[in-house]
Amino acid sequence: MTTTKSTAAPDSTTILRGLSSNRRVPLGSAVYNALLETLYDEAAALDERRFDDWVAMLEEDLVYTAPIRLTRTGPNRDRDVMRTMFHFDESYGSILMRTGRMQKSAWAEDPPSRCRRFVTNVRIGECDAAGEYEVVSYLFLERSRGDNPENEHMTAERRDIWRYVNGCYKLTKREIIVDQSVLGMSNFAVFL
Amino acid sequence: MLQKSSLTLRDGTKLDDLIMRDTNEVSLRVMTDEELYHHEMERIFAKTWLLLGHESEIPKAGDFIIRDMAEDNVIVARDADGSVNVSLNVCPHRGMRVCLGEAGNKRVHQCIYHGWAFKPNGDFIGAPIEKEKMHGNNVEKATLNLKKARVHLYGGLIFATWNVDGPSFDEYLGDIKYYMDQLFCRTDSGLELLGPPQRFVLPCNWKVPGEQSGSDGFHTLTLHRSLMEGGVMGGTAETIYDQAPGMYGVDVSCEQGHSLRCLEAEKTFKMFADIPFEGKSTEERLNLLTPPGITKEMIPELFKNLSEDQVEQLATFPPQVGGMFPNVLLAFIFAPRTDGGASGALTLHTYMPKGPDRVEFVNYIFAEKDAPEQVKRDMLQNAIQATGTSGTIEQDDADVWPVIMRNARGGVSKHITLKYQALHGEERPEGWKGGGMLYPGFTKDDTQWNWWLAYHKLMSEA
Ligand code: FES
Ligand SMILES: [Fe+2]
Repeated sequence: MTTTKSTAAPDSTTILRGLSSNRRVPLGSAVYNALLETLYDEAAALDERRFDDWVAMLEEDLVYTAPIRLTRTGPNRDRDVMRTMFHFDESYGSILMRTGRMQKSAWAEDPPSRCRRFVTNVRIGECDAAGEYEVVSYLFLERSRGDNPENEHMTAERRDIWRYVNGCYKLTKREIIVDQSVLGMSNFAVFL
Repeated sequence: MLQKSSLTLRDGTKLDDLIMRDTNEVSLRVMTDEELYHHEMERIFAKTWLLLGHESEIPKAGDFIIRDMAEDNVIVARDADGSVNVSLNVCPHRGMRVCLGEAGNKRVHQCIYHGWAFKPNGDFIGAPIEKEKMHGNNVEKATLNLKKARVHLYGGLIFATWNVDGPSFDEYLGDIKYYMDQLFCRTDSGLELLGPPQRFVLPCNWKVPGEQSGSDGFHTLTLHRSLMEGGVMGGTAETIYDQAPGMYGVDVSCEQGHSLRCLEAEKTFKMFADIPFEGKSTEERLNLLTPPGITKEMIPELFKNLSEDQVEQLATFPPQVGGMFPNVLLAFIFAPRTDGGASGALTLHTYMPKGPDRVEFVNYIFAEKDAPEQVKRDMLQNAIQATGTSGTIEQDDADVWPVIMRNARGGVSKHITLKYQALHGEERPEGWKGGGMLYPGFTKDDTQWNWWLAYHKLMSEA
């Protein structure tokens, strides 16, 4: 089966609507708190460029993507997530390649950007697989480059699956749904 | 004797003062000058052929995509007769955008302001309340069509120009066509765009990435050092400058400003270094290592669609990176994977001007239409991981260009010149079959200088 890759066709797009799980993990519950803490720890590891700490939070079957957005009107107006094309299309191995590059000559992050990742609006549901949780969060990224007084910024929703392994949660899937169809950020040399 | 350019800016500066053809220098001021930018919009972007997408994006009647020709927004639509049409997305009534989505399917495009309606080919249909003649009492309907651009499809790529009586597309391509055909016109079904392009904006003038697209091979060694450090290209971190992988080949260009770098795979990439090509026929070579994006099953198609000489070149010196003047970069590159997946990444970028100090980077990612789904999947991933928004190669380019731009604003800095003085001079390698201007050996400034000469030529034509 070949799938259509047509830009015009709406059937290659998807509507975004809430959590797919109907077993809600309530705000304030032990699991919710632990996952929220994990998201905060992850943001700190990335902001502080502790890539080894971040990679330790990833599962080896990781799928990490950022589909593009496309503005539509009329009956297809909500079908604006294009999962045929991505800003990121990564596996655990390719993430390791990227973090490895950061230790060498990755001029896009040398000098490093100073980043703040603000993570909010966290909603969590239980997945069918035991110990797996669907975690949806909002991300606001402020990024400062060199001596440029103007920050670059980016907003997105992240649709994650975190798995409970050996006493901690590890990321097995992340889909970053950016809000811009034309990105205002000059590159994604940072993780989202 | 060089003919003097007639273009003079309001402060008395001449184009010849900015592009110094006697010393092969270009003033950094060209990157910021607002007046020059306005001339570019008229003399280059309203005149030459511009790349807008691929016809696989709009396969059905009524399908449309919205694209830009510099700062002019256009509707690219397939009409009921199958033709691809490009019309200005500006309502002739009061200037609203006729189409507000970025893609979709419509048999009628109706402006949301007062309701004037247009066909996919830009023809005016009418205004609401027909009997009241709200399009005008004595105005012929045919005069109210959307402004139409001239369209040419090349290997499925959609090109358009406002220069309705200007050079044909083939005249625009010139001698580079022989080489471009090896990339775009080589298989029975042709290329397919794998999804809508990635788009992002950089705070720099379009010519900063533009001049690089004139085949700046040399920057790879230093800016893209991580390619060598990662062991993808030949050599190690310590031997980058000694071994200079990817630097030796044949650069080709033409007076229209287009260029390509033709590189032997075995001299560029470590993992191809030991393939026993010695004494092998073209067909045997192709079977040992298919060109980027081609599968073994497609090899007979190459012979069918290209001349024997073209296939031979594709097997030995495939064109891998280059550009089309004014604002297209192309990379049809080997992208070796370690997991056994399909190698190769095919991408085209356009650098669309969005003001003197902004450019939109549009990244189109392709595969051969007849390639197996898994090959397409791998090639999509290769291209995303190497190029565009997050690509580990091009995120470094995107980091350099805005800094050059900040420099270009300084009252003193703007008089610094860009140097194109490392020239090889034209030389025809023995046995070389293709035409154009040829620069064998180490990649130098020749092709990029030709890019500036093409710029100078268009800017001098009022
Ligand atoms: S501006 Fe389009 S109908 Fe009036
Ligand atoms: Fe580059």
